[in-house]
Amino acid sequence: MKRFIKKIILFILITLIAYPILVFIAGYFSIANALRLNVNYRKGSYGHMFTRVKEVNQIKGDADILFLGSSHAYRSFDPRNFPGKKTFNLGSSSQTPIQTNVLLKRYLDKIDPELVIYEVYPETLGADGVESSLDLIANDRNDLHSLRMSLDLNNIKTYNTLIYGTFADVLNLDKSFEEPLTKDSDTYIPGGYVESKLTNYKKGTTPKRNSWSLRDEQIQKFKENLLLLRKRKVKVVLVYAPIPGSLYNSYTNNDYVDSLMNSFGVPYYNFNEILSLEDSLDFLDADHLNQTGVDKFNSRLKEVLNL
Amino acid sequence: MLGAIFFAFQIYGDFSGYSDIALGTARLFGIDLLRNFAFPYFSRDIAEFWRRWHISLSSWFRDYLYIPLGGSKGGTLKKVRNTLIVFMVSGLWHGANWTFIIWGALNAVYFLPLLLLNKNRDHLETVAEGRALPTIKESFQILVTFGLTIFAWIFFRSENVPQALKYISGIFSTSSFSLPEFGIINEARGTIVMIFLFILIEWAGRRQQYGIADFGLNWKRPFRWAFYLTLIFLILMYLKTEETPFIYFQF
Repeated sequence: MKRFIKKIILFILITLIAYPILVFIAGYFSIANALRLNVNYRKGSYGHMFTRVKEVNQIKGDADILFLGSSHAYRSFDPRNFPGKKTFNLGSSSQTPIQTNVLLKRYLDKIDPELVIYEVYPETLGADGVESSLDLIANDRNDLHSLRMSLDLNNIKTYNTLIYGTFADVLNLDKSFEEPLTKDSDTYIPGGYVESKLTNYKKGTTPKRNSWSLRDEQIQKFKENLLLLRKRKVKVVLVYAPIPGSLYNSYTNNDYVDSLMNSFGVPYYNFNEILSLEDSLDFLDADHLNQTGVDKFNSRLKEVLNL
Repeated sequence: MLGAIFFAFQIYGDFSGYSDIALGTARLFGIDLLRNFAFPYFSRDIAEFWRRWHISLSSWFRDYLYIPLGGSKGGTLKKVRNTLIVFMVSGLWHGANWTFIIWGALNAVYFLPLLLLNKNRDHLETVAEGRALPTIKESFQILVTFGLTIFAWIFFRSENVPQALKYISGIFSTSSFSLPEFGIINEARGTIVMIFLFILIEWAGRRQQYGIADFGLNWKRPFRWAFYLTLIFLILMYLKTEETPFIYFQF
């Protein structure tokens, strides 16, 4: 039995050393994505996170407003609509509270905002958070917060990508990488916003009746984020940015989401109820505002929040 | 047709896989559980298939239903009745749906001729014992048994009977005589390669408790450990991470 346990421990130790090396080799030398199925490391992926992180690291001085949240954050709060205010948008694709937590721990001290506008899209509270974790691992530096995030998610794709990302950081593999400010129809605007050239949303089929399904672990992390901000005495406002009416109305439990958001003890504004927008005129796709919609939304937001 | 074949392997991988997880976990605690699958798709007739598929349930139905009903004692009619009852109850065990009852009844129909001709215990030994490859006769028997099983799986997989019939009519439509859609086959090439590898490993290890039970046992430790490490790497690099519950969780 003693010999068996000794062998098992030795095998585990060898595996702990050899496995990360194998993951890195597979990730680095695979000619096709299919050959590195569970290593999803894409520098400069959708949403301009690489450029956003690069910019946040160069910020000097305190900000007035910090925007947090998913693509609804980085596509809905345009810094040009907040003249006289120093704003930064730390939104990222499908960002769930688990990733927001990492970003707050990394950058809250640096940005030191007076006000946080926390965009709350219910889908991000129901998502597992893997997609957004891969975006963060590939486009930001990796540290103990990344490890904590991976342990929270407990997903092999996140673990493998983190292993690869750590090797990439240590070996400085991406030092020459530059992300273009304009990619397809998206242009990165300093301050973290992404402007799209797309103007009109051609409505397809009406979304099926559905209901929001939220995960306990994400709600728990969301509460943790609010507590972290409260401890830092940062004023927080929760904002549900507009989505197309056809999508919003397809959800049967919007009241539940509103009552949940109102239960956190911070002001909450659901702009799907406050502002009336046209699906075909104010949105660029089935989810996001176009520039006309952003301007209308930001204008109303400033009125409501007295900014 | 390809979908039905894939489902046969999906349900085998799904159910046999999670049985193996239970067996392996129990073995870690020193408990030897009854094995649940014994290379069922290498069976040469349906009777052999049912001795090799979901062995725990088949044994339970044999001991607690078939034998108390009289088993194969008594007249022919009684034998037929008992067999039909066991297979249909086995179908019903999977769910209150006509699709499962038809699946059970079909298996009874496959099984009854063997029972009546007293050929249900013809194939008790491992196929191609002492040989590397099966004979032409054995290959034919395996393919026919596999084909019959796939046909029954269509009912098992379908939401309802009309859906199953529509699927079957699709298989036997005029498209059977047209050229295969290579686009679809191309999309599924990874799955086809994996199934092919799987069959090879199962065939090579068919005399063992499970496919790779004895594989590399006599190798020197560095090679054996390298093999285990490769397996761990392949599993963690290529497993699907989307939440996909086991099919048999519903039963």
